[in-house]
Amino acid sequence: MAEMTGQDRAGERAPAPRGWLRDAQLVGAFVLRRVFALMVTVLIGVYLTIVVANMGGQVDELREIQIRSDVSEAVRADPEIPAEERGEMVERRVQMERERLNLDQPFILRSVDYLRRAMLLDLGRAEQMHSDLGSRQVYAIITERLPATILLFGTANMLVFFASIFAALGLSRRYGSLTDRTVIGLAPSSAAPGWFYGIFLILVFAFIVPILPAGGMVAVPPPESPWAYALSVMRHMVLPVAAMFISSIFISIYSWRTFFLIHSSEDYVEMARAKGLPSGMIERRYILRPTLPPIITSFLLMLIGLWSGAIILEQVFNWPGLGTLLFQAIGHRDTPVIIGGVVIFAYLLALTVFLLDFLYAILDPRVRVGFEGGER
Amino acid sequence: MIPILKLPERSLRAVAVATACILGAAGAALADDEIMAAPEFDAGDRRGGLLDEIVFATEPDVGKVAGLIEDGSYQLFAQGITNQTIFQRIRESERIEHDLSYGSSVELTFNPSGPEFESGELNPFNIPEIREAMNWLVDRRHIAEEIYGGLARPRYMVVGTATPDYAALAGEAREIELRYQPDRRRAEEVIGREMEALGAEKRGGRWHYEGAPVTLRVLIRNDDIRRQVGDYVANRLEDIGFAVERMYRDAEESSRIWIGGDPEAGQWHVYTGSWVSTVVSRDTATNFDFYYTPRGRAEPLWQAYDPAPEFDEISERLSRGDYGDLEERAEMMARALDLSMRDSTRVWLVDQIQVGPRSADLGVSVDLAGGVRGSQLWPLTVHRGDAPGGEARFAMPSVLTEPWNPVAGTNWLFDRMVVRAIEDSAFMPDPFTGLYRPQRIAEAELTVETGAPVSRTLDWLTLEQEDEIAVPDDAWIAWDESAGRFLSVEEAGEDGLTARTRSRIVFEDDYFDRRWHDGTTVSPADMLISYALTFSRADPDSPIFDPGHVPAFESFERHFRGLRILSTDPLTVEVYSDQITPDAETIVARRAPGTLPWHVMALAIKAEEDGELAFSSDQADRLGAEWLSLVSGPSMSVLDRMRERAVEQEHLPFPELLGEHVDAEEIAARYDAIAQWRSERGHYQIGDGPYYLHSVYPVQGALVLRHFADFPDRADKWLDFTQPPIPALELDGPMMVAEGEDARFDIAVTSGGAPYPAEDIEAAEFLLFDGDGALMERGTAESRGDGHWEVVLSAEDVAALGRGANSLEVVVTSRHVAMPVFASFAFSTVPEGTQKLQ
Repeated sequence: MAEMTGQDRAGERAPAPRGWLRDAQLVGAFVLRRVFALMVTVLIGVYLTIVVANMGGQVDELREIQIRSDVSEAVRADPEIPAEERGEMVERRVQMERERLNLDQPFILRSVDYLRRAMLLDLGRAEQMHSDLGSRQVYAIITERLPATILLFGTANMLVFFASIFAALGLSRRYGSLTDRTVIGLAPSSAAPGWFYGIFLILVFAFIVPILPAGGMVAVPPPESPWAYALSVMRHMVLPVAAMFISSIFISIYSWRTFFLIHSSEDYVEMARAKGLPSGMIERRYILRPTLPPIITSFLLMLIGLWSGAIILEQVFNWPGLGTLLFQAIGHRDTPVIIGGVVIFAYLLALTVFLLDFLYAILDPRVRVGFEGGER
Repeated sequence: MIPILKLPERSLRAVAVATACILGAAGAALADDEIMAAPEFDAGDRRGGLLDEIVFATEPDVGKVAGLIEDGSYQLFAQGITNQTIFQRIRESERIEHDLSYGSSVELTFNPSGPEFESGELNPFNIPEIREAMNWLVDRRHIAEEIYGGLARPRYMVVGTATPDYAALAGEAREIELRYQPDRRRAEEVIGREMEALGAEKRGGRWHYEGAPVTLRVLIRNDDIRRQVGDYVANRLEDIGFAVERMYRDAEESSRIWIGGDPEAGQWHVYTGSWVSTVVSRDTATNFDFYYTPRGRAEPLWQAYDPAPEFDEISERLSRGDYGDLEERAEMMARALDLSMRDSTRVWLVDQIQVGPRSADLGVSVDLAGGVRGSQLWPLTVHRGDAPGGEARFAMPSVLTEPWNPVAGTNWLFDRMVVRAIEDSAFMPDPFTGLYRPQRIAEAELTVETGAPVSRTLDWLTLEQEDEIAVPDDAWIAWDESAGRFLSVEEAGEDGLTARTRSRIVFEDDYFDRRWHDGTTVSPADMLISYALTFSRADPDSPIFDPGHVPAFESFERHFRGLRILSTDPLTVEVYSDQITPDAETIVARRAPGTLPWHVMALAIKAEEDGELAFSSDQADRLGAEWLSLVSGPSMSVLDRMRERAVEQEHLPFPELLGEHVDAEEIAARYDAIAQWRSERGHYQIGDGPYYLHSVYPVQGALVLRHFADFPDRADKWLDFTQPPIPALELDGPMMVAEGEDARFDIAVTSGGAPYPAEDIEAAEFLLFDGDGALMERGTAESRGDGHWEVVLSAEDVAALGRGANSLEVVVTSRHVAMPVFASFAFSTVPEGTQKLQ
């Protein structure tokens, strides 16, 4: 928003052309500036990730040690290699591994190469990891885990999002009621993360009253019929979704309810009430409509937030998601996979921010680009 | 003359084990209810594996293990468990049994540089006597029992307690163990003396050097139980007057310091190290060279090692196998053990015990070092209940970790565990001794050059000696890539070639009647392609040349001296080699050819030639291609295309070599079979093992194996190896012995309550110590029939002890388990005429 209003001054410097051409010029200039700014932001973010993921090149030292240790132990464990030949064998293998990982190049050169490829979305090959299917392409490694992540976290987040919006709207009308006070009282329960509730849910529903699976995405072995498979996946989703739902719902309702309460006391809402408009119409037109931009923003950010998954929750429920994948990538110091995960998130975030600028203009008639007189 | 030991074959069935007994003092926490009984099992006329289906699934959370086994979700956890709480939970459950394995060890690594670091600080551990004194300062029993909660046993030496060498040197080992029992006063005395010699002085109970307190930096791993071990050691050092800086670091952070850093820089003094072994190590003679000399590794720490000249020489000779016979080797080993304790750049603390949980109705062969995940025999022994059939589910920390292919595919422990069920092998290592036993071999003959220190233990092979082993002119020695065939010794111009060993191996009559999982019949071509790939991948002129394969190949080439196929019915091969190991069985087993389904390899070779897939990870990176997986992923579509092309071209790889054994009809039949297999199973992974890969679910982390009905062997062939027949000892005798009398002590040796057959005992030795702990007598117990041995001390022996408390230690070693067991008995010598306690 702030960036958009900044464009207004451009119109003050030179007389603006009139009509659609002027609008197109303004929008075009805005788009270019916005895209440029976002790309610079992505570029900086990704490069920082590269530097941090490699600890400014210090990871090279760790890798060298790790490579040498792994190779030494592998050679020593091979009974076919006589003891007197092991030293030479280790050196040759270490050198090959260094070349494979380009560790013979300075980090600064590699970092620029990482950055160039990342910005071009050329995710390249992982250095250590493989996709579950066996591919070394970073794209395959990431996209393979995406459906499971979207399914679990999408379902849970959607449930939380919509349930909390509608519950909050309802509560904002019943401010101070028992339900309202109960929700406020339960809001601190969200201090505990989803995985914490997950452990209890597993204990109760998988071991004490064993009616649901303790983890995994599907029964073992997976059912062959698509319907049975879908049913099995749904069954496996119950506990993790419930864990996420329990940990988020109350704070989310509380947050939205407070938000709606503030907007419910706006003059134009009071005026609508004074005019005797039905409460449903007041909610839709006088509360929901003007609050849509932040709701949409929250929704879209929630959607792209799925990208990072949830490391511990996935571990607790043994869910094959992106969180675990990125965690493993960090553990392996597999820079291409880490960068792949971050660069896609960065582009998604930039795209979302970019789209939101336009959505705001559509949803809120007060938002405009570069009108003379500074109207916004 | 080579000492040749012959071991009579016998059934190990129905032998049970009291685990507590093998743990000795450290195992006190494991109660007598740990008895594991081998199953009474009727396999009927079933062939192959005993189960109908085995499902593998990913379950990395060991915290759930007890619950998941109890509720029937899984029957076995392949991952070893070291957590005491989980172990306790497992022991309390009636539905869960467990196996123990001993593959990992914990030690203290000392920084030997100095005596002053570059900073001028003192490093007491530069002095061997101070390092040696650390053996008296630490109480290994305390570490094993209190810190590891019984999931460890004390270890004093570089030779692991679950190895054949330890068993063979049990008497010497026990002597050393008793010599280095905890003795703080002695430790303090030695350290004090040496510190003063270094110029340090003790003021107010604290050591000072050049006016400053002597601070020892103990690098403590904080990501496992070694944190407590490190704290314990740090406390002990503080107790004797050192200031201690505790540096808690994880694996990576610590590796930069202890292995990556310069020891002279003085960043650390002591590190809590750990080493892992996944198989029973048959030859630990190289350990001295590795752990104590600069030849072990190139890192700065190893380069700082400065062993005594005698130790250095003996380590190197042991590493090179430079000994005349096994007797000399044993003498050298004993001496090296002694010297290693005096050197003590490492002070070994415990052998960690890993628990392998399984449901009570499931039986399986477990490797003494590697657990079930390291067991070669698990697929041939796993069963449920007392009849064949049924299903079992195995949980693993990861499934399909890396791409599978038999040439240079995954080497991950858990991937390999599954693959062992799919592939058959000519030999199987004994899970309790590591000694190879024949699986597809009718007979074998090993000839070694005269004087080579090789011995035979089992009777499935013969061992001969010759002054010179000439390699015949027609033996294959080299590879001609352009012709696609092997060159004989004569063609390669290597006339007059000799070798140190010749292995003549005769396979079973029906070796080439066996089936691949896709229904095709195993042929000599499947054996030849294995050799061809080994050579061709190392040839720069080859389209599948893989530089990453070259170092390993060159090492192989250095000792390979030729191959001759004498017959294909039955398959009889002669392999000439210069490589020697102490076990004849190992030499023959390592020389035996394997088989690969040539029609699947043909597709993979074509894919690598086209740059689309690569056998090895290195080559895949080099080509920018995918690493070949026969199981799933992008390799599948590539292999499909290669298969279509191969069918069109009636393609036979290495036609010069394989053409003699494969006709056009078989080419078509093989490709038809694999196409059918691919359409039914969705992958290209076929083998000749007792189970076939039925289905794969990579993202879900699961795969399913099913029983392969065409496997040739009876299903109960290896069942006797389900439980290790570790002996249990009970030592009894008089509590008081009068001077001038002889004394008799009874040793009851049992297994599962039954007497242990006398012929299955390799050695029963005793060591007699007087009240000062001095070794007074050493000898052999006498057999009095199965399960009953006796130690007789003559009146002179008793008199030599003097009056007071004495100790008798007994060491018994079974022929079937590479783990000696110990028992001790305390008694007093009293003047003649003293009334004796009974």
